[in-house]
Amino acid sequence: MTDLPGRVSRRGFLMGSAASAAFATLMNPSFSHAQVELPPLEEYKPVFFDADEWRFIMAACDRLIPAEGEGPGALETRVPVFIDLQMTGSFGDASDWYMAGPHQPDASPLFGWQSPLTPAQIYRKAIPLFQEWCQTTHGKAFEALDAETRDSALTALQKGEVGLAPELRDFFSILLQNTKEGYFADPMYGGNYQLKAWTFIGFPGARGAYTEWVTRHNQTYPLPAVSISGERA
Amino acid sequence: MKSYLRILGALVCLGIIVLLAIIFVPPQLTKPSEQLAADWKPAPGQGEYAMRMADCAACHTAEGGKPFAGGRAIESPMGTIWATNITPDKETGIGNWSLDEFRAALVDGIAPGGEHLYPAMPYENYRNLSETDIRAMYDYFMNEVPAVNNAVEETALSFPFNQRWGIRLWNWVALGSSGFKPETDAIAKDRQLARGAYLVQGPGHCASCHSPRNLIMAEGGTSSQDDGFLSSGVIGGWAAPDLRGANAPAQTWSAADLKAYLTTGRNAHTAVAGEMALAVKDSLQYMTDEDADAMVAYLHHIAKGERLAAPSIPDQSLSAPRQLDQATDATSLKLAKGVGLSEGELLYMDNCAACHLTNGKGAAEVFPAMSDNSLVVADEKAGLIETILYGAEMPSTAKRPEKLKMPGFAERLSDKDVAALASFLRQGWGNTAGAVTEADVKAVRK
Ligand code: HEC
Ligand code: HEC
Ligand code: HEC
Repeated sequence: MTDLPGRVSRRGFLMGSAASAAFATLMNPSFSHAQVELPPLEEYKPVFFDADEWRFIMAACDRLIPAEGEGPGALETRVPVFIDLQMTGSFGDASDWYMAGPHQPDASPLFGWQSPLTPAQIYRKAIPLFQEWCQTTHGKAFEALDAETRDSALTALQKGEVGLAPELRDFFSILLQNTKEGYFADPMYGGNYQLKAWTFIGFPGARGAYTEWVTRHNQTYPLPAVSISGERA
Repeated sequence: MKSYLRILGALVCLGIIVLLAIIFVPPQLTKPSEQLAADWKPAPGQGEYAMRMADCAACHTAEGGKPFAGGRAIESPMGTIWATNITPDKETGIGNWSLDEFRAALVDGIAPGGEHLYPAMPYENYRNLSETDIRAMYDYFMNEVPAVNNAVEETALSFPFNQRWGIRLWNWVALGSSGFKPETDAIAKDRQLARGAYLVQGPGHCASCHSPRNLIMAEGGTSSQDDGFLSSGVIGGWAAPDLRGANAPAQTWSAADLKAYLTTGRNAHTAVAGEMALAVKDSLQYMTDEDADAMVAYLHHIAKGERLAAPSIPDQSLSAPRQLDQATDATSLKLAKGVGLSEGELLYMDNCAACHLTNGKGAAEVFPAMSDNSLVVADEKAGLIETILYGAEMPSTAKRPEKLKMPGFAERLSDKDVAALASFLRQGWGNTAGAVTEADVKAVRK
């Protein structure tokens, strides 16, 4: 997987969270600490993706973290909303990355991000190409395939067997990474709806004070997860 | 009947004459409390130090304004009073004032021409200023403060408060005698106590906030002979706590802790906020060690009864988890266990425990303790509510420069939340203060 630049800076995270405060209030307009209830995901109006792209994103997320099996799926936790919102921010337009070149898109992945394109541009260009590949190979759009075929299509995409140009080759990496991020990021970014992912793995959230638990072993932590805005699971 | 009318007429005439006298007969100005040689000169820095102790900048320097150029608004129940320009500018400041005129403003509240100053200028306390401090300050303002031409907005209170002659009546009733005299022999005989008494009653004007106001808004007590003196007052809705009760924090703290609070804005138990933070930042941190010790010795000397011991603080040499394990009171144990918490307790865990900890003791000189904290349990709830909504910041002082800050929670907590949380604080860890209502919070939220 490509090591994405600018992803580990705490400062960047904090600034990002400040910038997202607007979204946070949008998501959580009341002060309530009870779980936020939002209209169903189907009614969400994407701010970046068009209708075709959105159908793909929903279907792809649904396979990367499926609903069946353990824990909530990507759709239940509104991961596609997270990805959509990220596209319009500094991640989507790579505004805080070094993007001035020289670019060597076919260099070894060990050299990090080499594409001249921003993540949002990669999503935009790669989705139709991948859909074309699905049509040619499987006779249907990705979202119309059955679950098993979707998985094999995504595997082909991951393995670089779809024939994307070098500057688009990171498409699967960022899609998978953004899906995981949307699952585990604070709900203020649109995903991890009702802190379901945190609750699933037993992460207590942004309470930030567990000092008395340091010396207690093999005891269940009793308090519900809490988000940065104060929402509780 | 006729004679009755005649008496009434005579009384009215007398009243009018007295009134005219109040308005037109110039008031007597207080003479210097001590005769200094005509060529007396303050030592270098003496005037600035006297100014620091009296904290003239607190009111006469506007936020972001030039030093002493005035323009700070002082809200009073009667309206806004504007602190004046006291730089030596001849047109808009006090550049033309003589020493006698300067002294009259400080100790009598009277400006040249006999105009009475509003007691927002604390001449009630500055009456105690020594002649050397007054002269040193006069020298400082005339020669060291840069003149700034800044015409300050004219104070215009509504009728009847715009009738400044009325202040003369108030002065008659409210003002004690001028010039500082230690209130007891014991204090007079002890140089340190006498110095401490002077600093507290005179320049420090502690009573202007920490003494209650009586019916006519005069300070209820000017020395420790009065029961009301420093027995708690109210400023801007905040409590200026009791400093003398046997179990008042100012008395239960050790001398070292009280000194640390006054000169660095923090100690093992708490940290300063609100108006007191400004007093520490602009004035008290500049105290010499000797003066700080004197102030502390005097404050402890005037305790009402035997001073009680402060609640214990966790042994700071232990690791944080071990410190928390030491707690044995019901609140700490319940929070640490985390089961069956009330909404207020849960809000504390979600928002506050990271810094103030489940034992409510925080960390010495960093995070104030919530137990036995005057601000938390005060009858005036505005200070607590304001701190939760808008946070607080310690002043940067020479000895402890870090401006440690408490974040505000106005964005994160509703009025209902703050009420539940504050009510919990006021009843947790052995605190026994009354609950806070949503309406209380609503009144403070801007
Ligand atoms: C608590 C606030 C406060 C403090 C502290 C304070 N003043 Fe004042 N002072 C005022 C206010 C308010 C006025 C204006 C009163 C009025 O308009 O009646 C004033 C007026 C004056 C005046 C009259 C100026 C004029 O042009 O009429 C002088 C002189 C003065 N102050 C000097 C000082 C000095 C020197 C100190 C420090 C020793 C000091 N003040 C401390 C609030 C304060
Ligand atoms: C402008 C008003 C004002 C003046 C003047 C003032 N104080 Fe205070 N003081 C306060 C307020 C308000 C608080 C409460 C601060 C807080 O809760 O953080 C306070 C708190 C204190 C405390 C802490 C008490 C406790 O129980 O926590 C001490 C000690 C104290 N003041 C001493 C003094 C002394 C000594 C002076 C004079 C040199 C003085 N103050 C002058 C307003 C004032
Ligand atoms: C990031 C750490 C932090 C958090 C979180 C925090 N505080 Fe504080 N708190 C502080 C610091 C530092 C101070 C000292 C600030 C000062 O006095 O200037 C303080 C001061 C206070 C005071 C004033 C004490 C005094 O004596 O003046 C109260 C009351 C208080 N906090 C309550 C709370 C409550 C309630 C919460 C949760 C809503 C909370 N704090 C969350 C750091 C924190």
